[in-house]
Amino acid sequence: MSEIRTYRRPMGRWWTKNPTYRRYMAREASSFLLFAYALTLLYGLWRLSQGQAAYEGWLAWLASPFAIFLHLLMLLGMIVHTVTWFEVAPKTMPKTGLPERAITLGGVAAAAFASLVVVALAAWWGTSR
Amino acid sequence: MRIVETDVVVIGGGGAGLRAAIAVAMRDPSLRVALVSKVVPMRSHTVAAEGGAAGVIRADDTLDNHFNDTVSGGDWLCDQDVVDYFVAHCAEEMIQLEHWGCPWSRHEDGSINVRFFGGMKVQRTWFAADRSGFHLLHTLFQTSHKYPSIARHDEHFCVDLMVEDGRVVGALTIEIATGELVVFLCRAAVLATGGAGRVFRQNTNAGIVTGEGMGLAYRHGAALRDMEFVQWHPTCLPGTGILMTEACRGEGAILTNKDGYRYLQDYGLGPLDPWPRAKAMELGPRDRLSQAFWHEDKKGRTIQTPQGSAVNLDLRHMGAEKILARLPLITHAARTFAGVDPVEQPIPVRPAVHYTMGGVAADGRCATDIAGLFAAGECSSVGIHGANRLGSNSLAETVVFGKVAGESAAAFAQDAGATGARAKDMAREAADKALALLTARKGERVAVLRGEMMDAMEEGVGLYRTQESVDGACRKIGELRARYRAGVKLDDANRAFNTEWLSAIELGMMLEVAEAMAHSAAWRKESRGAHQRLDATQRDDASFLVHTLARRQGEGAPAISSSPVTITRSQPRSRVYGGEGKQAELT
Amino acid sequence: MNERRIKIEGLRYNPEKDTQPRFQTYEVPFTDDMSLLQGLQYIKDNLDGSFTFRWSCRMAICGSCGIMVNGNPRLSCETFLRDLLPGPVRVEPLENFPIQRDLAIDQSRFVDRLASVKPYIVPAREKPLAEGPHKQTPGELAAYYQYSQCINCLLCYAACPQVGLNPNFVGPAALTLLHRYNADSRDVGWSARAEVANSEGGVWGCTLVGYCSQVCPKGVDPAHAVNQNKATSALDYFGLRALLGGGR
Repeated sequence: MSEIRTYRRPMGRWWTKNPTYRRYMAREASSFLLFAYALTLLYGLWRLSQGQAAYEGWLAWLASPFAIFLHLLMLLGMIVHTVTWFEVAPKTMPKTGLPERAITLGGVAAAAFASLVVVALAAWWGTSR
Repeated sequence: MRIVETDVVVIGGGGAGLRAAIAVAMRDPSLRVALVSKVVPMRSHTVAAEGGAAGVIRADDTLDNHFNDTVSGGDWLCDQDVVDYFVAHCAEEMIQLEHWGCPWSRHEDGSINVRFFGGMKVQRTWFAADRSGFHLLHTLFQTSHKYPSIARHDEHFCVDLMVEDGRVVGALTIEIATGELVVFLCRAAVLATGGAGRVFRQNTNAGIVTGEGMGLAYRHGAALRDMEFVQWHPTCLPGTGILMTEACRGEGAILTNKDGYRYLQDYGLGPLDPWPRAKAMELGPRDRLSQAFWHEDKKGRTIQTPQGSAVNLDLRHMGAEKILARLPLITHAARTFAGVDPVEQPIPVRPAVHYTMGGVAADGRCATDIAGLFAAGECSSVGIHGANRLGSNSLAETVVFGKVAGESAAAFAQDAGATGARAKDMAREAADKALALLTARKGERVAVLRGEMMDAMEEGVGLYRTQESVDGACRKIGELRARYRAGVKLDDANRAFNTEWLSAIELGMMLEVAEAMAHSAAWRKESRGAHQRLDATQRDDASFLVHTLARRQGEGAPAISSSPVTITRSQPRSRVYGGEGKQAELT
Repeated sequence: MNERRIKIEGLRYNPEKDTQPRFQTYEVPFTDDMSLLQGLQYIKDNLDGSFTFRWSCRMAICGSCGIMVNGNPRLSCETFLRDLLPGPVRVEPLENFPIQRDLAIDQSRFVDRLASVKPYIVPAREKPLAEGPHKQTPGELAAYYQYSQCINCLLCYAACPQVGLNPNFVGPAALTLLHRYNADSRDVGWSARAEVANSEGGVWGCTLVGYCSQVCPKGVDPAHAVNQNKATSALDYFGLRALLGGGR
């Protein structure tokens, strides 16, 4: 085929162009916040390994306004990450053969709540011993 | 001008074209096949066919039944030897498609499900939901990738054939993206270019169904046969002409007029009960249903919509579950294009031109008047449809005769000598003509001439014709041809991707095909099948149990003659539908 | 009678004259039932015969008429002018494809990718026609039917940023077709298609943006077709694919 000069439009800042792309980028960005939280926890673990004084210093820092703000941010990231993960997870699974009606938002929310209760109970039992 | 040497060129990439190409490849993988299409093959109009393809498989069905339904449906204008071949090979082709992956709908036990269709005595229509043509075309297109001998040339628009000493030696095309001229030198060719419904104003057809394949053969001396037989599909959306498949009626839908009355019982298709019943009421043949609409309209019993008069196609009694499971495409189309939910409301429908029974005259092996040129599918007239086509016989036709045309072309190519010496010169002449259209400095707009043609055909060669109306159409089309020759001016002067130029080339051939239709209709002074005249209301077997042939006479009107119909064992009777019968079980 | 009008801003690009695209505005009279495609046809028939776009069936089954409408990939035959009021309506060719002319794009990347996934039944054995059709239950049909509905309209390719960013990515529709055949009970061609499926440009090129499934006019859900094969592909890497689907 003889060539004609086709034109390729540059992608530019494509992620700003529509709500779906922006939500996608927010989802991807939330993993950075998740990573930041993992680093924070690791840092806290390391401070723990350095003895009582270091650990108390760490706890003090955690109570500071800056740390609380940081943690709220990371919590937001966690929530976005979790919710979007549950949104896309079904796309990664083969057809189960279950009718569509079997998986509902209510059902997922109930399961999430139930697991929260279990974790809370375990935490209470663990700390009360 | 670029030259491509090949053995068999297939012009048209729809159901028939793809099947022909595959048939050549299967028969002889050493033969080079060039599949040339003006669109990428999955866009071909086969994709829009909805209802299904016929093939005898039920234990309570016989080839004789399919034969008799087809021959009587065609009002005895069918070549019965070809019909015999056709019905004997339908099921085999459906099975072949199934082996190739076509997702035919099934019974619970996994066996093929078949449904009723208009004019058929027993269920024999294989279907894939309500988009059978879509699945058939995609199956063929995807399967064609298995055969390395098929070279595809997508978006190449065929502008002329090279015919030397009565034998086809090449095809000249425009590569749409660049405007470059590409000539395919060949030993044999298959025409599979589809119908010509777009010469009418209201039609179900895609924009590409412009009949140029018929025009190409016609210009080189091939006869166009039975061109006056144009099928109006009875249930199409007013205005756009978008098709509401016959499968709706195969699943039990009914037609009512503005008073909610099932009017078909007044036109020899009743009685009402039991319903549903094969070949009765809404399961009658398409020509009868379209004609009944015309009469209801004249009596003032149709409903008025902003797009014209219509009747109601009522599915409501079928229930939401069945409608959504069996007819999802229709549901979507009705909601989107008509703003009507078939579960809650009836769909307004009226007849629109749907299928061209006529075409390039071809025999049972798909051979045309031009040696080495074979024709299959809607562009051909092999003799199976006669004066009226039964629904689901057309999708079956594409594959049964697509295969025949491919095999015939392969056999011809194997025996044929080298391509003609003058092919390249002829190509250059044809190229100059096509390019001349591009550079015309004065003339009328394509859309203006096209619009006048469509209105003239709708007016003069419509559902019901009179001598006056068809003569008027003949005159008007003749005038339009002269105006076309005087000049068509394009806004677009490009070579590259110039669709206005292509539409001007299409228009030239559409006018000639339309003229053949109008003159054939003027010649046939009887009413038979889809050709109904108010001034000759009876079928006249004594004078007109013949095919109509139209042959081009340069710039003048075509010459109309006739050829015999092959009648073997079914002698013409009156076509009887409706009547007594037991209630049919819809599958 | 009051004639309503709407403005359509069309991207124009003429490969013989332009080095880059520009926009041209047309004013089109319309009625409530008119599709955007009919609006474009009005422009071509009456205002500017050089305005170029693809179309065919007018009923959303051929897949020819995909364009960007106000930045969203849509089929012009199924998009209605009444829903785009007050306008102007911006129409551009599909994203992520080279522009051939005006609203027409070069589809060859898709056509080539389609061929690369071996989009045909690879049977366990050549079944003679005389044996009749395979049996396939409604359940087996349902396992792949949805994925066979793709009309190849390329809206998903326009939607997918990976198609634009990664020239090796096979793309949503072609990978969906790959899955359609793998999931068909009559096919045993997984290994034949594995190289394409498992490659960087295969299922792993997808980052689950999910926009493809949102824009698909036929509910094919290409995101699902592609992503459910990530697990299969991973197991295949460890030689454990048989765990999921049996020896096919």
